This record gives sequence, structure tokens and C-alpha cells, in this order.
Amino acid sequence: MPGRPPRMIAAEGIVLRRRPSGEADALLVLLTPGEGRIDAVARGVRKPQAKLRGHVEPVTRSRFLLARGRGLDVVAQAETLDAHLRLKADLEALAAAIYCCELAERLSTAHAPQPELYELLVDALAALDAGASPAAVARYFELHLLAVSGYELQVAACVSCGADLPEAEAFFAAAAGGILCAGCRAEVPGRLLSVRAQKVLRFARRSSVAEFAALRMPPETAAEVRAALADALRAVLDAEPRSSTFFETLTRP
Amino acid sequence: MPESLATPEPIQRLIEALHRLPGIGPKSAQRLAYHIVRTSPQEAEALARAVTEARERIRYCSVCVNLTERDPCAVCSDPRRDAGTICVVEQPLDVLAVERAGIYRGRYHVLHGILNPMEGIGPEHLHIDALVARVSTGEVREVIMATNPSLEGEATVMYVQRVLAPHGVRVTRLARGLPSGADLEYADTMTLARALEGRQEL
Repeated sequence: MPGRPPRMIAAEGIVLRRRPSGEADALLVLLTPGEGRIDAVARGVRKPQAKLRGHVEPVTRSRFLLARGRGLDVVAQAETLDAHLRLKADLEALAAAIYCCELAERLSTAHAPQPELYELLVDALAALDAGASPAAVARYFELHLLAVSGYELQVAACVSCGADLPEAEAFFAAAAGGILCAGCRAEVPGRLLSVRAQKVLRFARRSSVAEFAALRMPPETAAEVRAALADALRAVLDAEPRSSTFFETLTRP
Repeated sequence: MPESLATPEPIQRLIEALHRLPGIGPKSAQRLAYHIVRTSPQEAEALARAVTEARERIRYCSVCVNLTERDPCAVCSDPRRDAGTICVVEQPLDVLAVERAGIYRGRYHVLHGILNPMEGIGPEHLHIDALVARVSTGEVREVIMATNPSLEGEATVMYVQRVLAPHGVRVTRLARGLPSGADLEYADTMTLARALEGRQEL
């Protein structure tokens, strides 16, 4: 019959979150490139002999076969593509991965293709798995996540009038979406960003995650960048991501 | 007639109370409520008393944080149990599971939860400080981490290992690998990798 959606879909996806449900089931939040965020139930996975169990762990990238349900999809089959074993054996990297997954869940849309967001998360998890600095990967992910979700930060020119910025300390207003020049700077909350921090943000936007993670920067610059991105995320999410406290307590010097 | 008018108010309250219990959906709550009001007054009274008494008499053990009627609990006050070994579990039911295996002769520590940053559950929500305090007495030789072999369980293991490191205590964890009766063909990468790492000489 034309127009009728298929009853089974095959999709690659990353498990963003897993919550227990009922006696032995688990509710999964998956991020897929073609279908966006999908809520699915994995039946019986909390039993020790469950075959699906390890394939639906959070942070794992797997290939899924999902049966379309009325509300929730049901995981019929799953096979791990990348378990990210090294990342899961390192507390900071794991905390960063969980943080990235939470942000991806919050800024993703259900049942709408989001290939860019998916690629970004795949790259970030792969970098963490390869041993990149968890804090650097998290910053890179935050900045690019804002961009792919339609909240691109303007740090190369004034966000209001588009004027070029002099090489000097500049005013960053998260609610405005970037840096405001001296002429446009109104009475909005914000913070001053050093030239170095501005350069780091610009570099992060055009580099790959591996290039950015290899960048060495002084701790005070890292702190500036972290605070600016946290402001920007707070402006978009209207709330603090739940997993950020744990991640920050582990990585703060 | 709307459902709320057909259900007398006391039954409605009972249904709501039962519905708040884990694993009880609205239909089960209705069935249980109507079952309870149809039983003899003595039976209903006994159920109510059991609930009240359990809640009143059960408290946390000041040593292992397990639920107990006497403080310290039966395991902690048993001189035959080895005080040098502590088995760390997520919840009181896990103590029963380990006891059922029948080979562990040490003591326990119940965390009452597991690190789950995504749900906002951090180390400050678990009884980790109490564990560190027990270990810092110097009496403990080994801490066995018996959390679930899930991502959150692993995170908890790594975190506890880190906070216990300065105390020089041996931290071990339960072996991970293929469960009895499993099918190799269906095993995931993580399980197989851990099973290979933990292989044993025959």
C-alpha cells in the first residue's frame, strides 16, 4: 500500500540514554542520522542471559532493527558497531561522553533527519575513545552542537552589525549569540573574552576534533572558553545539563 | 457516570497510593485496591500493620548502610564474618543475591544507588563517604566492587577506586564475561573482550 510507513526500520544509531522499565525492559533514547531521536524499548535486556544487553549500552554505536510501534519502537535486533571500550575504561572520558550524549538528546528532534548532529557525536566519541583530552572534546562538541542545531555563535564579527572586530578584548553576550562590538554593546549580560579565547573559539569552529584536542592552551584561556560556551548552552537550553556537574568536578584542576 | 463518581473516595485514594509503588500500573492498582476492600477486615488490618511496622522498625545500619531492624545489622555484628573484606553493592536486594551464592564470608556496604550523571545522580547522592570512612580505619584489606556490569556500574567502580586509592586498600571487582548458558554468537564486543581478558588457566 503506498504511503504507509514501513513496519520495520534498519538504522545505525548511538544509545544516548538507557532507563530501566518494568521488570526487565529498558527504555532507550537513540540518535540516528536519518530518523533523528528515537525512543525505543528493548525487551528483557536486564536479564543476565539477554542477548541484546551489551549492544544497547549507553554511548555504544550499534546497528538496529526496530519494529515500529504506536508510541515506542521495539528493538528487534541490535549489533554493536563500536563499543568504545577504551573510553568506557577512563572515568573522565566516560563522563565527557555521557555529557555529550545528554546534550545531543536535548538538542535533537524526534523523527527528523539530523545527519550533521549524528556525525558530530560519532566524531566526538571516536576522539574520546582515541584518548583525546575529554575537556577539549567537550568544548568542541558544545560549539559545533550549537552550530548544527541552528544556534551558531558569531565570534568572527559583531553579531549585531557585522562589523569587523579589532584585535582586543571583546564582549561576549550569550543571549545575543556571540560577540558584540563596542558600538552595539548594550546593557545585556555577558562576559569579556580575551583575544586568545576568541582565537581558540574561531579555531575550534574550523578545525577537526583531533586538531582542536591537540591544541595546547593556558588554563585561564580554557576556563574562559568553558564559561562562554556554558553561557551559550544555558541560553539555549534554559537549564544546566544534568551530567555537567559530575564531568566538571572530575576535570576541573 | 464518570469513573471518579463510580469509585468511592477511600478506594480512589487506595488506588492512587498503590499506583505510586514501583511496577504497579493503573489497572493493577485498581485490581489490588478492589481485592483489598473485599478481603476480611482482619486480613486488611494485617496488611496495614505489616506496612506500618516494616516502615517503623527498619532503619539503616550505621556501619554498612543496609536496611536492618537492629543496628548494627546481623552481618556487621557477626564475629564470624571477615571484617577485612567489604563487598560493595548498589542496593539491599544485591546483598541477598550475593548471600544466596553462599560463598562470601566478608561484610557489605550498600551504596543505595549508582553513579548516573545523566539522571543527575552524582557521588554525593551515594553512601561513598561512609565507605571511605570504613576503609580509613585501616582494618579493611580488600574492597570487592559488586555493582552491575553496566556503564553506570563501571563508572561507579572507577570512581570508588579513585577515592580509595590514597588509602592503599586492594580494590577488586566481580569477574565479567559470558553468563552460564550463553550463546557465543550473540555476545557483544564488550562482553567478549572482558571474557578474553579474564580467561583462566585450566
